[in-house]
Amino acid sequence: MPRPIPGGSPTAAPTSSGSPTASIGAPVSIRGVAKWFRTGRSFLHALDGIDIEIQPGEFVSLIGPSGCGKSTLLRVVGGLLPYEQGTVEVDGNSPAQARDTKQIGFAPQTPSLLGWRTVRRNVTLLAEVNRRGAIHPPLGEREILELLETVGLGDFLDRLPKELSGGMQQRVSLVRCFALGAPVLLMDEPFSALDEITRNEMRYLLLDLWERTGHTVIFVTHSIPEAVILSDRVLVMATKPGRVVHAEHIDLPRRRSVAMEDDERYLAHMRSVRRALGEVSAR
Amino acid sequence: MTVGTAPPDAAEGARQPPPQRPQRLRRSAMTVAPIVGLVVVFGIWEFYVRVFDISRLTLPTPTSILVHLVDEPGFYWRHAQVTLYEAALGYGLALGASLIVATFMAHSRFIERASMPVIVLLQSTPVAVLAPVFLIWFGFTYWPKVLVAAVFCYIPFTINEFTGLRSVDPNAYELLRSVSASRVEIFRKLRFPQSLPYLFSAGRLCVGLSLVGAVIGEMFGGSTEGLGNTARVGQTRLLIDQLWGSIFVLACIGVIANLLLAGVETRVLRWHSSQDLPGGSATTL
Repeated sequence: MPRPIPGGSPTAAPTSSGSPTASIGAPVSIRGVAKWFRTGRSFLHALDGIDIEIQPGEFVSLIGPSGCGKSTLLRVVGGLLPYEQGTVEVDGNSPAQARDTKQIGFAPQTPSLLGWRTVRRNVTLLAEVNRRGAIHPPLGEREILELLETVGLGDFLDRLPKELSGGMQQRVSLVRCFALGAPVLLMDEPFSALDEITRNEMRYLLLDLWERTGHTVIFVTHSIPEAVILSDRVLVMATKPGRVVHAEHIDLPRRRSVAMEDDERYLAHMRSVRRALGEVSAR
Repeated sequence: MTVGTAPPDAAEGARQPPPQRPQRLRRSAMTVAPIVGLVVVFGIWEFYVRVFDISRLTLPTPTSILVHLVDEPGFYWRHAQVTLYEAALGYGLALGASLIVATFMAHSRFIERASMPVIVLLQSTPVAVLAPVFLIWFGFTYWPKVLVAAVFCYIPFTINEFTGLRSVDPNAYELLRSVSASRVEIFRKLRFPQSLPYLFSAGRLCVGLSLVGAVIGEMFGGSTEGLGNTARVGQTRLLIDQLWGSIFVLACIGVIANLLLAGVETRVLRWHSSQDLPGGSATTL
């Protein structure tokens, strides 16, 4: 059964999120969503009473301990997993409809590039399938080239994935996600396999891409600094069952930069999220 | 004063990497290595037969076999063509059938479960015994030999291709599902290309197996042509040179076919980590 979230309704969208100007993002509405997994003869209560309203062009991060249902929630929104209770709408459509009409771009945990395709052809992969279903046109060749140049891959268009470093592969994965032209992007810990230096660099590359395009992004992460610097809102989730227990509205101005990591407001948000995670772990 | 500082040359030398053998020399050595291996084996064989005066009936020298082959190239070329045709047709039939069956198996648990007993049955049966059966069915034609070759190749092809089609990267699969890619699209864009290393692996194994199948078919299938037949006749009439000549030609066909396939593999699987091994494809001599 859905439960009320402690502390009122922290998951309501903020009135002003400092979103990018040229937004093509779409709203995402998650109301009273619950999900169970069957494990042998018993059931595992994976998600309970999830209520999240996301504005078009908003960047929302989900953070929480392992097993709290962050990735499950992402897959529910993406129409990759069914759910038992509640409603999910992506721009007014069910997740399955949103998937069929290519309104959702997905960035998995690993780059998952197809080894036999060059960088250029990996980026256009998602545009090549289910062409008839798409209601938003994918980015054109010139726009894709611009994005690849933005992430420093302009000279690697015809390289195979095995010729790229882990960080470069992840950059291709990000561009592939944006190249689909979908208004909502779901990112499942895309930087988790990278070293700290590359990871830090990738955050700002992602921000650069997002600020150019203005998609709605739901970003799953285990990293507090990453969540705070990237997001308009950070949602902290707890386990057993997975639920949202705290929402942190990040009031840092756009565009974000490395210099902001020394800002007192940034540090205060970090402390607040850390405290919320600490309470979750102590339960 | 310059006391205590190292001479400029020594300091320079310390920063340089240790001397390495020139790249070209190393590459030449790698090219020559297989030839050295063959020369050593045939040298020991020649030496053993000559020094211990082994009877020609037991084991002729490699040079005498080569002389015999040079004397009668037309004879072996004619019979080699027959065996090659049978083996290649069997290979192709097995490849085609396995691609169809493995594709259905990879897409349906029911078909997979229904096919497994048949595959285990075929795998556990010494398929050479099917040669007389095929002879009864198809008479003294190419078909008994082609079918034996095909049956030999079918199982490795099917099992490998099925494994390859099923071994998709789950993240890439989920990625394609996230945009509602159809089954056909997932097959074309992901499953089939990702299965190619498995298919080539079976393909290399089946080069030898198709030849074995064709030769066994010729030996048991009442054939009057082909290298299996020339070897059988050589054995029954004590034409030892012909027996060994047939073996040599069969070995050469196998090696050449494997090299050709390795060449194709190197081009097609340029993207795969197996091609990063020193010397390229694992089968490259």
